[in-house]
Parts: sequence; structure tokens; C-alpha cells
Amino acid sequence: MLKGLFVLVLLQLLGATASALWLPMLPGPIIGLMLLLVGLMFRGSVPEPLQQAAAVLLKYLPLLLMIHAAGIMTSYELLLGELGVVMAALLASLLVTIPVCGWLLQFLARRMGAMDK
Amino acid sequence: MSAWQSFIEHPLFAIGLTLLAFQAAVALYQRSGWLVLQPVLVGMLLIVAVLVLCGIDYRDYRQDAEPIAWLLGPATVALAVPLRQNLARIRQLFWPIVITLVVAGVLTVAVTLAICWLLGASDALAMSLAPKSVTMPIAMLVAEQIGGVAALAAVMVMLTGVIGTALGPLLLGLARVEHPAARGFSYGLNAHAIGTAHALQENQECGAFAALAMSLLGVVTAVLMPWLLG
Repeated sequence: MLKGLFVLVLLQLLGATASALWLPMLPGPIIGLMLLLVGLMFRGSVPEPLQQAAAVLLKYLPLLLMIHAAGIMTSYELLLGELGVVMAALLASLLVTIPVCGWLLQFLARRMGAMDK
Repeated sequence: MSAWQSFIEHPLFAIGLTLLAFQAAVALYQRSGWLVLQPVLVGMLLIVAVLVLCGIDYRDYRQDAEPIAWLLGPATVALAVPLRQNLARIRQLFWPIVITLVVAGVLTVAVTLAICWLLGASDALAMSLAPKSVTMPIAMLVAEQIGGVAALAAVMVMLTGVIGTALGPLLLGLARVEHPAARGFSYGLNAHAIGTAHALQENQECGAFAALAMSLLGVVTAVLMPWLLG
């Protein structure tokens, strides 16, 4: 568990360093995610301690996100003036893209499956 | 100082509040069976309500909650684990993934900008809304580069995440999307980490595809959007 957490922290640190030096458009954790994925592809399997740490952290992902999401309260004034436009744009894009995105991938995946058979 | 003041000003108040809000939100979600009551949405509202009632500044809360909040970074890195475990499935669906990423990624930005244009929104607002579907640190950087406001983009990202995750199960049900990879991809692409957190609870393949969509859209947006809209 702690070994796994250490690996995750180390990769986030490496990601943050890479972000500061060469890739300012990508945040450290995202680069860390990609580095870990590449590492795990070479290794073939996920080591037990890493699997345990990941399982615990991902189980509580909603808890970690709600702390950050509450930050909405610092800039709600910015939002109130334009609430109508914001909600219209936001809802329209979600109402269209959520079903289209899911449907399209399902359609293409099933078509591929049918062609393989 | 009154007893109440010292109670709410103790650094542990923020941690206690967060743990309580999370458990209350999860209990409400499970007991009610309403998919709209996403734990992140309800927990966030509980935290904001308590902070406002007690007159606590968000920055103070955030600082005191840091012993828990810092784990979001390692948790994001940990998304590589479900990705690795579903790698065979991802390789198999390589072209459907690429096509869906391009079509849905362009569609979500196009609909957002079209509505902004129709309703006469300012450029600053439109450019703060354009990257709303990607993970927050990327959206803030991109918004600034294309003439938006980073703080406003952060709010849009959060709203998109909670509303998208609340509407997701309903909309995917109506469109008869049952394929776990397709459901997950839609959660991750439309509602970034908040959608991914929900997808991981549906099942592992769903979670892996949500993490995949979130990271792919994030990277593509970070690289292409400043160039296309800047």
C-alpha cells in the first residue's frame, strides 16, 4: 500500500518536473499518469502494492473532488451576471454530446465486432 | 473567543466537515436511488452551505483540508492502473476511440460556442466556456491562452462535471447505450474526473474508458485548442 503510494507520488513529482521544464501546457498529474501507463505497459502486470494504493485512492475519488469542487464558491459572482448564457451553453452541449458520444462508440465497436465475426 | 468560534476555527473542522459531507452524500445517493444526486454534487453543496453559514472563507477551508486534498494528484496518476488493466480492450477499439474522440470533442466545443454566439455572449465568456469539458488545470491554462478568464473556466469545469455526471445515466439510458466502454468514454469526455469517479463505480471497464477519454481529450485540447481558437 505505502510502496504503491510512494510510486504514485514519485510519478506525480516527475510529471510536475517535466511540466515545469518542458510541457507547461500539461499538468503534472496528467504527465505522471502517462508515465505510469508507459511503465506498466513495459512491466506487463500491475504490482500488488500499486494495485492496492490505486484501489483505495480511486474508491475515494469523489471525496477528493468535492473539496476542489467547493472552490466554486470563490468565483460565483463572475457567474451570476451571465448565468443564463452559461447554463444554456452548458446544458445544450451536455444534452447533445453525452448521448452522441456514447452512441457513436457503441455503434463503431459493435460494427467492428460484427466484421470480425 | 466563544466555544463555537474555537470549534469552527480548529484546523480539524475542515477535515471533519469533508468526511461528514462525503458520507452523508454517499448515504443519500445510495438510499434515494436517484442517479441525479451524485455524491460530488451533493457533497460539494453541503460543504459550501456549511462554510457560508459559518462564515468561513473557502481559502481557509482549502488550506485546512490539504492533508486530504493533496491526494487528488496521486489519485489522478493512479488512473493509469485501470487503463493498464483494460489495455487489450483499448487496443482492440483503437479506431472507434479515435473517431469518437474527434467527433464528440469537436461537437461539444461547437455546440457551446454556437449557443454563446446565438445568445450574444462576450468573447471572454465564450473562451472561458470552450474548454469546459476537460480536467480543471488544463482548462484554466487553455482558457487564458485563448482570451478567456482562468477563474471563470474553473467554475465552468466544475459545473460541467457535476451536471454532466448527474445527467449522464439518464441520457445514456435514453440513447440505449449499454456498452460499458461507450458509457465510460462518454462520462470521461463530457464530465472529466467527476464523470470518471462515477464510471469507476459502474464497473472497471467503464472506469478505464472514462479515464482514457478524460486524458485523451485533455491532452488534445491542451495542444490543439490554443492553436485553433487563439
